[in-house]
Amino acid sequence: MSGGVAVTDPPVTARASWFEPLVGQLLALLASLAIAVVFGSALIVAYGESPIEVYSSILDASLGKADGIGYVLAIATPLIFSALAVAVCFKAGMFNIGVEGQYLVAMVTAAWAEIELGFLPGPILVPTVLIAAMLGGMVWAAIPAILKVKTGAHEVVTTIMLNGIAVSLLAWAINFPLKFTDAPPGQNVDLRTDPFPEQGLVGDLGKMFGITPGAHLSWLLFLAIGAAGIVWFLIRRTRLGYDARAVGTSPGSAKAGGVSIGATQLKLFLISGALAGLVGMQQILADRGHLPQNYIVALGFTGIAVAFLGQNNAIGIVFAAILWGILSRGEVALQIQSEVPREFIIILQGILILSVVITYQIAKRRLAARQLQRAGEAGALEDSAGPGDAGSPPGSEPEPEGSKAFQPADEREG
Amino acid sequence: MNERDGAGGNGSPPLAELDQITKRFPGILANDEVSLELRPGEVHALIGENGAGKSTLMRVLYGIYPADGGTIRVRGDEVKIASPRDAIALGIGMVHQHFVLVDPFTVTENIILGEEGGPVLDIDEAGKKVAELADQYGFRVNPSARVEDLSVGEEQRVEILKALYRGVEILILDEPTAVLTPAETKDLFGNLRKLREAGRTIVFISHKLDEVLEIADRITVLRRGRVVGETRPAETSKAKLAEMMVGRPVLFRLEKPQVKIGEPVLRVQDLSGEGKLNGVSLQVRAGEILGVAGVEGNGQRELAEALIGLRKLEGGTIELEGENLAGRTVEEIRNIGVGYIPEDRHGQGLVLDMTLWENSVLGRQDDPEFSTRFGVLLIRKIKELAARLVKLFDVRTRSIDVNASTLSGGNQQKLILARELETDPKLLIAAQPTRGLDVGAIEFVWTQILEQKAAGRAVLLISAELDEIYALSDRIVTLYEGTITGEFSPDAAPEQVGLGMLGRVKKEVA
Amino acid sequence: MPFTDIAVAVQISFTYFTIIYLTGLGGLFSERSGIVNIGLEGLMIIGTVTGAFGARFFTDTMELGQPWGPVVGLLFGALCGALFAGVHALATVSFRVDHIVSGVVINLVAVGLARFLSSAFFDGQSTQSDPGGPHLARLDIPGLASLPSGLGRAFQGLSPVVLIAALMVIPVWFALNRLRWGLRLRSCGENPEATRSLGVSVTLYRYQGVMLSGAFAGMSGAFLAAEHIGNWREGQTLGLGFISLAALIISNWSPIRLMFFAWLFGFAFGIPLRPGLTDIWAIRDVPEQFIRMIPYVVTIVAIAGFVGRVRPPAAAGRAYEGGGGP
Repeated sequence: MSGGVAVTDPPVTARASWFEPLVGQLLALLASLAIAVVFGSALIVAYGESPIEVYSSILDASLGKADGIGYVLAIATPLIFSALAVAVCFKAGMFNIGVEGQYLVAMVTAAWAEIELGFLPGPILVPTVLIAAMLGGMVWAAIPAILKVKTGAHEVVTTIMLNGIAVSLLAWAINFPLKFTDAPPGQNVDLRTDPFPEQGLVGDLGKMFGITPGAHLSWLLFLAIGAAGIVWFLIRRTRLGYDARAVGTSPGSAKAGGVSIGATQLKLFLISGALAGLVGMQQILADRGHLPQNYIVALGFTGIAVAFLGQNNAIGIVFAAILWGILSRGEVALQIQSEVPREFIIILQGILILSVVITYQIAKRRLAARQLQRAGEAGALEDSAGPGDAGSPPGSEPEPEGSKAFQPADEREG
Repeated sequence: MNERDGAGGNGSPPLAELDQITKRFPGILANDEVSLELRPGEVHALIGENGAGKSTLMRVLYGIYPADGGTIRVRGDEVKIASPRDAIALGIGMVHQHFVLVDPFTVTENIILGEEGGPVLDIDEAGKKVAELADQYGFRVNPSARVEDLSVGEEQRVEILKALYRGVEILILDEPTAVLTPAETKDLFGNLRKLREAGRTIVFISHKLDEVLEIADRITVLRRGRVVGETRPAETSKAKLAEMMVGRPVLFRLEKPQVKIGEPVLRVQDLSGEGKLNGVSLQVRAGEILGVAGVEGNGQRELAEALIGLRKLEGGTIELEGENLAGRTVEEIRNIGVGYIPEDRHGQGLVLDMTLWENSVLGRQDDPEFSTRFGVLLIRKIKELAARLVKLFDVRTRSIDVNASTLSGGNQQKLILARELETDPKLLIAAQPTRGLDVGAIEFVWTQILEQKAAGRAVLLISAELDEIYALSDRIVTLYEGTITGEFSPDAAPEQVGLGMLGRVKKEVA
Repeated sequence: MPFTDIAVAVQISFTYFTIIYLTGLGGLFSERSGIVNIGLEGLMIIGTVTGAFGARFFTDTMELGQPWGPVVGLLFGALCGALFAGVHALATVSFRVDHIVSGVVINLVAVGLARFLSSAFFDGQSTQSDPGGPHLARLDIPGLASLPSGLGRAFQGLSPVVLIAALMVIPVWFALNRLRWGLRLRSCGENPEATRSLGVSVTLYRYQGVMLSGAFAGMSGAFLAAEHIGNWREGQTLGLGFISLAALIISNWSPIRLMFFAWLFGFAFGIPLRPGLTDIWAIRDVPEQFIRMIPYVVTIVAIAGFVGRVRPPAAAGRAYEGGGGP
């Protein structure tokens, strides 16, 4: 029927299809690490220190002893949740910058659950509190999601505004409904909530491995890794993930294929909110045992950095979070052993994010060009129109040149 | 300097020469040692089918792409054209097939952009100059009109004036008549003749052989990146040109299957919405292909989208075998039995960043065959589907795991076709189904569409190419400014249909 | 005096107007050249830390005294903002990274960079500097400052930068609409392919647009830290960068309309900062935490309400794939 070149062999499911992009991403990551290390070295030298010494003291503090590893993993745990939340939305083409606010609200709802439902036995209380946290995050995420779907309000602005509101909300909660008022007389206590019941806390994981309880490594780590697995499965192996990816990259085609864009966006934002809700659990359930006024901030924003570092891929995120933990833990080493200020780590992390984002872009384009090259060599592009407007390569933007080079059955044109 | 072929030509030395130009892109050799010569005061047509490399060649001349090999000479001197600025400085201008105009700006602002004459703008002065220039060559434009308010023909005039304002002597037009009505084409040709008389050179890239034979002085034919011939209208014919373009005799007949045409499958009554559709009424019967002809921009896209559920309607009814479609979601409409070949295969057909097998199931991922009750995808089944589709429709690819973006235009269209036809829809909506495809792919698509007819299904064909309309349709209607302006049989003369496309006929059944 | 509270709120609103308007103007140049810039917050942050440093450094250490010390300090903040914005330009224009992704990265890196710079500038203090830094002499607006019933308070004690900000609309409007430069910049944002096809370098104008956004946002941050508050403190930008972005969007990217919305949002900021005001308005029983939410809520409502009715530069946010150099 086609009357053209002979058909190629029946299509093969090539191993190379997922292999190549993975290699490309790893190379991009390594390249950015290298760039960061190089810039960092320059800075270290400017402070009169030896880069090798500084880097090895960082690695020693993080990985040298069991304690270090404990700290690293404890730092990584909330970051995994945070980055997963960001990545889930990103897959659907949305930016959830509101993880920050979502976990604050979640801490409030979790704290409420701990205090009001504290009579429940441990095995029921803990999951209940976690669910309360996820619901809190979901509600806070639902607001920008609904606004986006109904009014088209860009989620970047709305989520950030909601972050600001969440800060005030948490401040109000600590000052009024959840305020800790039972301090023993004479003791000056910071503003915070009541302490959570013993059975409502998440146990220390570290003691099984000889890691100091000071690291606060908890079972939440396994929950985080489990969440990563679930997210991976969701994105790659379910209908919702499929719809999300279609909406995220080609909303027009998704819509023409019957996918409801608004419904998909909403669902993914809610899942994102649920994940965000778990970000603060490490600090209030494993670390502090209550919700303090000086809670840890910026986990939402750091999660964005980790998500980029992990290429918005569930597995990559776990490793990226650990890498981040290694760097963060290294701050301690610098403080103790070096002239280089601890803020150096922040600069290193900053350069890393920047270069990841850029090298990833470069890798993506190279990969696309190589795919095209190979397709062309296989003769699969013979009928391509030449590049479309202003230089887009074939296969991405066809130039609609009509080509009716033949006559209809009857000679009609005069 | 070789003076070629003085017979009948003006014999003057070439104004520009492209000598053995080669240009590569990833996976494609677009121009393979192409040589071309342009003389002053001529209209030189450059023809070839899709992928032949004609646009690419001119883009090299215009400085958009650097050549990978070969030289360019202008007025005898070898030159390096590294950007459009260089080209313009050498007197070469280009009007692209897709206009590059800034919509919110006025005509004058668009024309002077890049050539403003000083750091502070003097719009009044510039407007006067534009008006003078337009008069000189007989173009009708309003210098202070906003481009977004202009018609397509007027926009084209602005594009040409942009080049003339910069004093170009060689004007390259890429498929200039693709978006014009027959009347606007006549106007354009009048302007081109005036320019030729003034000593300008026009390069006319086109695939419309009739027009080429009408306006050109010399014709160069490209095929697969190479020059296969150069001739004059007096020495050739449409058939010979077509054969040169494609490489084999193209007296191309498609047998329309003899099918008994049945009851109406699709009934559309007074469809209107969003300003573009103003009361469209039509019917498509079982075993029938209804061709909707019209120049783009008259509501074709809106009509297709309305039928598949992508657009909200303000009024009118749509019925498929009695079931009401208006107001339903895309998913529902597809389930009722409508297939959709969109005119924008990237924006509405495929998800380019997904693999072929993922694209194969787009629209059917909810089917119990392809996913479980809980939403888990049955990947093996989907891949089986994909493999079958790819084999059946001869989609050329290394594997089904590559991204859809790596497929050529023709193969992408085949994949979409395969996917849509797999569900055996009662109604197939095909909008500009062969745009950008080469002859082989076009034959294939047309054959599939005719097979739908043979199977007793209904096909709504929307196309701006009259050839296609005539080749496939059992009945033809014309769409102009959102209404159906005429109905014709395939025996009707194209001039008649052309009038309908211009809105000059009111509902005459042929 | 009956109207003192309102007047003071208005006076505060002028300050926040200045911040939001300047940052918004920065965003204007970037976006109209086609580069979405949500990193305005980060650029402001850089402006705050470098501006606080600059004010002290140039006034005291370099002994430029008044008024040149603070002036150079402000310009220093603008310069640093422009340089930092260069990173966003590099990522988005040269490497074609997604604009929003790059903007987010800018915001992330700015926080860390600010700490680093602070530690270097302010003797190891990484989250704030000493209070009481030098600033330009405040002035009263003649005529308006003497309005009766306490209204005059609104126009007293304003930083000269407020006036400069308000007057900025003139050169900005002129540059955008009456200069060749403005025509070309706007065409990059509406149709970069058209611009490129006429030989105008999209890359050049986009870099300029983005770096201008850094300059304006940096100056805005410098104003906030050095002129208004008197020192740098981590987090003092309070989301103003994003509020400026929202104001810009609602103003349909017009420098004239932006003045109104910048002032409106500025006023929303002023309310929580003046407890007396909330007394008058009989919302005294509402906990102050909810009052603090007002500017953010106002922004959300505004954005959600207006978003369908604005028309961004057509090519903003879309990577321009054009080949060929400048």
